[in-house]
Amino acid sequence: MSEKIIQEANERAAKYFSRRHFLHNCMTGLGATALGSLLGGCNLFSGESGEEGMPQSLNPLEPRAPHFPARARSVIYLHMAGAPSQLELFDYKPDLQKLHNQLCPPSILEGKRFAFIRGVPKMLGPQAVFAQHGESRAWVSDHLPHFAKVADDVSFLKAVHTDQFNHGPAQLFMHTGSARLGRPSIGSWVTYGLGSENSNLPGFVVLTSGGKTPDAGKSVWGSGFLPSVYQGVQCRSKGDPVLYITDPEGMDRDMRYQSIQAINEVNKQEYETFKDPEILSRISQYELAYKMQISVPGVMDISNEPAYIHELYGTQPGQESFANNCLLARKLVEKGVRFVQLFDWGWDAHGTNEDTSIEYGLRNKCREIDKAMTALLMDLKQRGLLDETLVVWGGEFGRTPMQENRDGKEMPYMGRDHHAEAFTMWMAGAGVRRGGSWGETDEIGFSAVKGKTSVHDIHATILQQLGFDHEKFTYQFQGRPFRLTDVEGRVINEILG
Amino acid sequence: MNLLQIAGQGSWGLFFGRFHPLLVHLPIGMLMIAFILEGLSKVKRLAFLSAAVLPVMIFGALSAVLSCIAGYLLSLSGGYEDDALALHQWLGIGVAVIAVLLCVLHRMAVLKKLWFPLSGVMIVLLSAAGHYGGSLTHGDDYLTAALPGRQLPKTASITSIPDAKVYDDMVQPILEQKCYGCHNAQKLKGGLRLDGMEHIRKGGENGPVLKDSLPEASELYKRLILPENDDNRMPPKGKPQLTPQQVEILYWWIEQGASTTAKVKELQKSPRIQLVLEAMQPSGTGDHPFIPETTPGPVDDQAREALEAIGVKVMPVAAGSNYVMINCVNASGFSNKDADLLLPLKSQIVWLKLTGTQVGDSALQVLAKLPQLTRLHLEYTAVTDAGLPVLADCKQLRYLSLVGTKVSDKGVLALQRNKALRELFIYKTAVPATAISQLQQALPETRIDTGGYTMPVLATDTTVYKKEG
Repeated sequence: MSEKIIQEANERAAKYFSRRHFLHNCMTGLGATALGSLLGGCNLFSGESGEEGMPQSLNPLEPRAPHFPARARSVIYLHMAGAPSQLELFDYKPDLQKLHNQLCPPSILEGKRFAFIRGVPKMLGPQAVFAQHGESRAWVSDHLPHFAKVADDVSFLKAVHTDQFNHGPAQLFMHTGSARLGRPSIGSWVTYGLGSENSNLPGFVVLTSGGKTPDAGKSVWGSGFLPSVYQGVQCRSKGDPVLYITDPEGMDRDMRYQSIQAINEVNKQEYETFKDPEILSRISQYELAYKMQISVPGVMDISNEPAYIHELYGTQPGQESFANNCLLARKLVEKGVRFVQLFDWGWDAHGTNEDTSIEYGLRNKCREIDKAMTALLMDLKQRGLLDETLVVWGGEFGRTPMQENRDGKEMPYMGRDHHAEAFTMWMAGAGVRRGGSWGETDEIGFSAVKGKTSVHDIHATILQQLGFDHEKFTYQFQGRPFRLTDVEGRVINEILG
Repeated sequence: MNLLQIAGQGSWGLFFGRFHPLLVHLPIGMLMIAFILEGLSKVKRLAFLSAAVLPVMIFGALSAVLSCIAGYLLSLSGGYEDDALALHQWLGIGVAVIAVLLCVLHRMAVLKKLWFPLSGVMIVLLSAAGHYGGSLTHGDDYLTAALPGRQLPKTASITSIPDAKVYDDMVQPILEQKCYGCHNAQKLKGGLRLDGMEHIRKGGENGPVLKDSLPEASELYKRLILPENDDNRMPPKGKPQLTPQQVEILYWWIEQGASTTAKVKELQKSPRIQLVLEAMQPSGTGDHPFIPETTPGPVDDQAREALEAIGVKVMPVAAGSNYVMINCVNASGFSNKDADLLLPLKSQIVWLKLTGTQVGDSALQVLAKLPQLTRLHLEYTAVTDAGLPVLADCKQLRYLSLVGTKVSDKGVLALQRNKALRELFIYKTAVPATAISQLQQALPETRIDTGGYTMPVLATDTTVYKKEG
């Protein structure tokens, strides 16, 4: 059967060299050569257009140099989908405790909109015990007892704000810089700009846990208007890491190689004719898929990690868990993968049932990530990888200092509504200040009073550490250059260096 | 200035003078074409062209004379450097005189032989006059500065804002970019030069332009913020204007006493200038701890290709940088014998990743010859104690990872001599605790990471929170 495919490919290839094609190519070819030599001195596409990252070679994943020497070679982004409560984890507000169960002052609610809170809700004091940790005296609650021990390795951003209070748009905003569909995700921008160092693995890998993918769907790791070769490759932490990775029955690896070669040969000619970058994407994805058959099972298999590593992370091979994904993230980064995106679902603590309650559900989620993310930081550190790997942690927004009162009724459990005005994120590694903290919220944690940072600022900072000037890193689309940070973004120098 | 100055006031003379840049192109074209026609008419087949030479010549000569007059009137407005102006003036007059002569002599049979050479001389003078005229308008290095290989003046790249000198690194580049064009040694518009602090202090024909600490009273600032249609606005309408940030910097510099030596960190900053300075903060270009300050030559293409042929990735650390990082993630077979391939790049290699390759101690002998190496990854390689001592010769080595190698106390202690070392990773090696503390004493600033981190077992690790009952 496969011989037939190859024969077909050869016949198709022959069609490209007919007399008609030859004559046609001669004419356009000569014209193009003449024009090219005339324009040789003009750097039409250099300079101001800022498209220094444009792929030059036939391989769109060829590694490329950033604008300036980078501090980070890789990024691990831990996204707590659903948005964890900053008020139970990092943003300690003793004054909020005093207001617990009292009605929220109307001055706070004036002109504000919430996803579910209606009327006048009651305040909800912090449902955790806080203490200061490490030399940096960082506030971390007893929900994260292990992480508290490495608080000195990270920098907290305590007054991040977003302009979206629904999960889908907020996640899109957090990962693509726009609340609407169609923009490339951070990881896509990064692989577009830097390519992939390891030619056997994708440059941008996505791992999910918590039973669901993010509300915004796969667009949060999509490539938007960038060629689709830069989109995130979702791997499963359970079963085959990538579906259909094994050869189908009756097809040996050699035959598979030959057929992929033949298909790519045809595709290359197609590219020569139409110059559609999507054809390059197709070629490189076929090639990568073939290589991944060998490389992926090795990298994605955590079962042959030593026992002390499993103990550190709390991993159990064969499960889908945040811990397994953390260990995988370390292994991938070690192999030169640029951007590893983790999504852990289940942080939407509205208090509608036990699993989404502040008292029970949130604590269980914290237990699931505490050891794993601490282990990730420790493991990166001891391997010398934290030095060149930027770790980012956060949700798509924060949670209100008020108790949720969905439809104006009292909830069966303690819960907090979506809150866009101020929440906490942290970053670590790759030139991020150790034991740093930037930004403050008011005494009840409602809004930022100092060091307010935006989602665009987070993006600018990530790009900065990877060696990009976020204002010059653009892609020409629909007649204008696009940036991850649009027309905003400021590098948060306060947590760098 | 030895020429009469009539600056400030408009006049018919100046008005006509300003037609000079327009008029000069007429003699250039016409005299040139007369010369070419005369040359062509010497070919028998084209002899008929000679009839056209005289009319063209007459118009050329006429326009040359007009240009000279207009040029003289323009020169009266002042603001040009004397020497260059005199040269341009006499060359131009020379062209006009010869052109008129040539018209007169055209029909004289005696001089028939001389006519063509003489017109050749005129063309040479014409070219020279044109060139000096251009230099007067655009500055004398306008042309040569754009030669391939020459560095075009660009805004100085500031590596650290607090340490930047306000005048040298910020004010002067702005003046250079937007003001020097008209206020330089050749072209002193308004009698003012801005290309140097002593000239700025001297001021122009209307007096000083700078009053220390009083930007609102300094012409140097005041004129920048006049309405665009105001005749005194600088730069004049139609010329590249200063950006609001640049105006802000000039204001701040004057307000703070117009010092030539002060650094940014030494001056007081208003919230407004703070914003401008923050925006100027370079995107971390110069201060990278792992990039040496010197700049090496470009990478030898053959040497790079030799490495890439065996799967080794050679990458510039940044676009336009000659420093390279080398990654063997796709070349796990990289071995001792391949190490020699690195030598041709010895002045360019700063980061080297040999993780998991076949290299051993003999490769280290080669690595010791890489003087610019700052980051070295030797995780999971066959290096041993015997090889390590030579690494002390890598004087710039800041980061060294020996994770998962067979090194022990002897090898690691040999690194004591390497005072540049800031980070050393020896997780999963056989280095005993005594050697680590000895090394730490010798290298107090080095962070030695032995790894093996653990977490305590807590009761809460397994507690599942549930509603009771």
